Amino acid sequence: MPEIFINGQAVQAERGQSVLQAALANGFYIPYFCWHPELSVAGNCRICCVQVEGRSWVEIACNMPVADGLRVLTDSDAVKEYRKSIMQLMTLNHPVDCGICDKAGECTLQDYHYRYNGAPSMSHDVKVRSTKFHPLSERIVLDNERCILCSRCVRFTREISKSNALGIVQRGDTSLVRAAEDRPLDADPYSDNIIDLCPVGALLSKPFLYKARVWYLKPTPSVCPGCARGCTVQIWHRKPEWKLNALDPRLNARIERVTPLDNPDVNGPWICNKGRDLAQILERPRATQAMRKGEPVDLDLAFELARRLIESAERPIALASTWGSNEELTAFSKALPNRFTVLTKQDWAPQPGERLDDDLLIRADKNPNTAAAKALFPQQDEGIDALPEDTDLVLVWGEGFDFARIPARAKIVFLNAYLQPENGHADVFIPISIQTERRGHYTNFEGTVSAFDPCFPKPASVVDAEALFAAIASTESVKA
Amino acid sequence: MANAKLLMTFPVTATSHTLAEYRARGGYAALEKALKQMTPQQVIAEVTTSGIQGRGGAAFPMGRKWGVIHPSDGQPHYLCANADEGEPGTFKDRWILEYAPHLLLESMLIASYALQVRHAFVYIRGEFDGPYRRLAAALEEAYDAGYFGERVLDTDFACDLVIYRGAGSYVCGEASALITSIEGKRGYPRNRPPRLTVRGLYQKPTVINNVETLSNIAWIVNNGGEAFKQVGHAKDPGTRLISISGHVERPGVYEIEIGHPFAKFIHEDCGGVLGGRALKGVIPGGISTKVLTGKEIEPLTLDNPSLASAGSSMGSGGMIVLAEGTCMVRLLQVLLRFYHHESCGQCTPCREGMGWLHRVIDRIVGGEGRAEDIARMYQISAWNDGTTICGMGDAAGYATSGILNKFRDEFEYFIEHKRSRFNGTLECLRSS
Repeated sequence: MPEIFINGQAVQAERGQSVLQAALANGFYIPYFCWHPELSVAGNCRICCVQVEGRSWVEIACNMPVADGLRVLTDSDAVKEYRKSIMQLMTLNHPVDCGICDKAGECTLQDYHYRYNGAPSMSHDVKVRSTKFHPLSERIVLDNERCILCSRCVRFTREISKSNALGIVQRGDTSLVRAAEDRPLDADPYSDNIIDLCPVGALLSKPFLYKARVWYLKPTPSVCPGCARGCTVQIWHRKPEWKLNALDPRLNARIERVTPLDNPDVNGPWICNKGRDLAQILERPRATQAMRKGEPVDLDLAFELARRLIESAERPIALASTWGSNEELTAFSKALPNRFTVLTKQDWAPQPGERLDDDLLIRADKNPNTAAAKALFPQQDEGIDALPEDTDLVLVWGEGFDFARIPARAKIVFLNAYLQPENGHADVFIPISIQTERRGHYTNFEGTVSAFDPCFPKPASVVDAEALFAAIASTESVKA
Repeated sequence: MANAKLLMTFPVTATSHTLAEYRARGGYAALEKALKQMTPQQVIAEVTTSGIQGRGGAAFPMGRKWGVIHPSDGQPHYLCANADEGEPGTFKDRWILEYAPHLLLESMLIASYALQVRHAFVYIRGEFDGPYRRLAAALEEAYDAGYFGERVLDTDFACDLVIYRGAGSYVCGEASALITSIEGKRGYPRNRPPRLTVRGLYQKPTVINNVETLSNIAWIVNNGGEAFKQVGHAKDPGTRLISISGHVERPGVYEIEIGHPFAKFIHEDCGGVLGGRALKGVIPGGISTKVLTGKEIEPLTLDNPSLASAGSSMGSGGMIVLAEGTCMVRLLQVLLRFYHHESCGQCTPCREGMGWLHRVIDRIVGGEGRAEDIARMYQISAWNDGTTICGMGDAAGYATSGILNKFRDEFEYFIEHKRSRFNGTLECLRSS
């Protein structure tokens, strides 16, 4: 292991590392725009410059290989002066329209300006005007004036998503990032990662455009339920202290956006576009009323009815949800008497046009916790056309089950979170909470367990499935 | 050996570029000698002994560049002749491409043999249409005569050559941008390390030499590296093609022995300044070298050590003569317009700095200059000094600071009076 010296301090670097990597790994901060741990070195932003001791000039750290005995300075006067000049040049043609930019508050350019420059522009000349609101794809809008041409997005589509959708056209200070003309970016299921990669406000999400200022938002760590990969994500929602009262209060419990949560064990720094659109899955109309054969009843009564059906059934079948957390599945297995046949049910099937699977993240199984469900209940619902005729009770947990498969004489207990026609057909219907309202863990297809935290309080009239199963096991009131 | 000629050894006629006449002049004898009497190591040794330096601008010793390649390391190597002669004022390679294409081809064959190159390339600038056709015709002749392809001259040596036409970008004359362009990508220069001689074209060791540098190899093989060393300057041997233009009586391409007196070259060989005016200055080697005043050049000789002592260099051999009466502000405007237009836009200092410099000089010429503009131009030049992937930013900085250093008073006059001290044009018409 080569030993290098950063600001005079000895640091053990790894062979093949760059000075930038070695510095970051050892707690020395060197600023960077174009460098990214998962992408190739471009070396074009020049902000990561450092000075090798004894040399009068500065060099970029991202392309400087470590060598035994190398001595670099990250905060010499020459380095400070040079960073300042780079920030002057970066902002030379940048519109500095932070007031109306979605990136403001989490913008690298903004942060570095205050940290490394702080001075107004030296230029008296007009800025180079360029395209605003260029529709790069159906999901992404590009502001070329804000773009600093770091080429991260271009490299992402070449090296990670492999759609080769982006390139740079023109040259000099009129260079533009542009999508290929046959629009492969629309077909790239990972395209929105370039929004996170963009160190400035050039690439913006159309669904999130002008929806919220990020400093009013708070990220809650969560797990994407979109497929068996179980990518760790951050669900962004309003901070409780910035609660909206006068405006639509429903905005307080809304998913504003979803971004990846860097996790080398599962997804790295990426997620797919389906993960960004979790709101489309999780914010469908909710079922909030317990029912007996379609008639509204009190939650406690519904629970009592369900409990009695479970106790009295002789040949019952239960369908376990692959969207249940590890905790819920365990509680489910403990709550049910031994005479229950438990089948693992696939709650969610691939949608038309959805990418089935690929080498990067997307898995064909579109449920988050199939691995844990199968471990507890190895018997699969898949492949069985109809349930046995002598079944007298079917307990369905979660959506995605065709009620036509249930024998006519069997009673139905149904636990579901969303407003669906089947809810009224069940003998007993109990509304349950969704992922953003509870704490739990999912086990992905590789056996990696990831935790999710609650973002919002659950509606008062729904019940956590885990509490429900615990109550069945101990015959307590679910409201208690 | 006064005024030795190594390249311009024959009178140019309508047919002097053909294979038949080239052979009649003793052409392809060096190839025969190299293939049949020398090992690749011996060829490399001769080139290293000759001490020849690159003629493209950086003056890097050719032997040192070649020395990095291990001919027998088992991987493919590539050789590329840089015929993307884009430096304003430079048109010397064009002479070789048009009038002595076989000299280049023979030299490239010898170089390919020395470096064990199976596929060689010529990257020729897109604007060179005539030179391209000459070279392509010569290549066809050479293929027909069996100098290219399998079993060259009945030996085991095989070599193919591809002529790749650029699309007219200045930056693609930079070696790494050039190979990126050959690979079919956008012509962006690449970061070093790795050096191109380690990982170049298609990620394999690649040697890129200027057309003129390569064309000397045939002579070196024929006459030996020691003989080459006797020509020209002790530290910078050989001859150079100088393309001279601007306010000069006889512009054109001249071959001079390195170390030739500068003033004699302009005033005698080239017939002096146009219209008999006084010599205001000379840009000695393409616009990226620092300008020299008429007074400065008098004690100088045309070689890198001498010009370096005056803060400039031989560059790419594209000399531009400036007569008294030339407005340096307008000249710098022209230069900066070029650099702004040609910046590839990869690195921040050059991408933003070139545009900024161009806007500042445009403003000065437009009569809206500010007192601090001169300091600002120095500063932007300094920000580009050695801080970008390739040398284009540096070059623009040298050109700018070179002109500002020596003609600062003209800029101050322009800013103060909102007009040029001269008539505001670069033209210096012959007084009839």
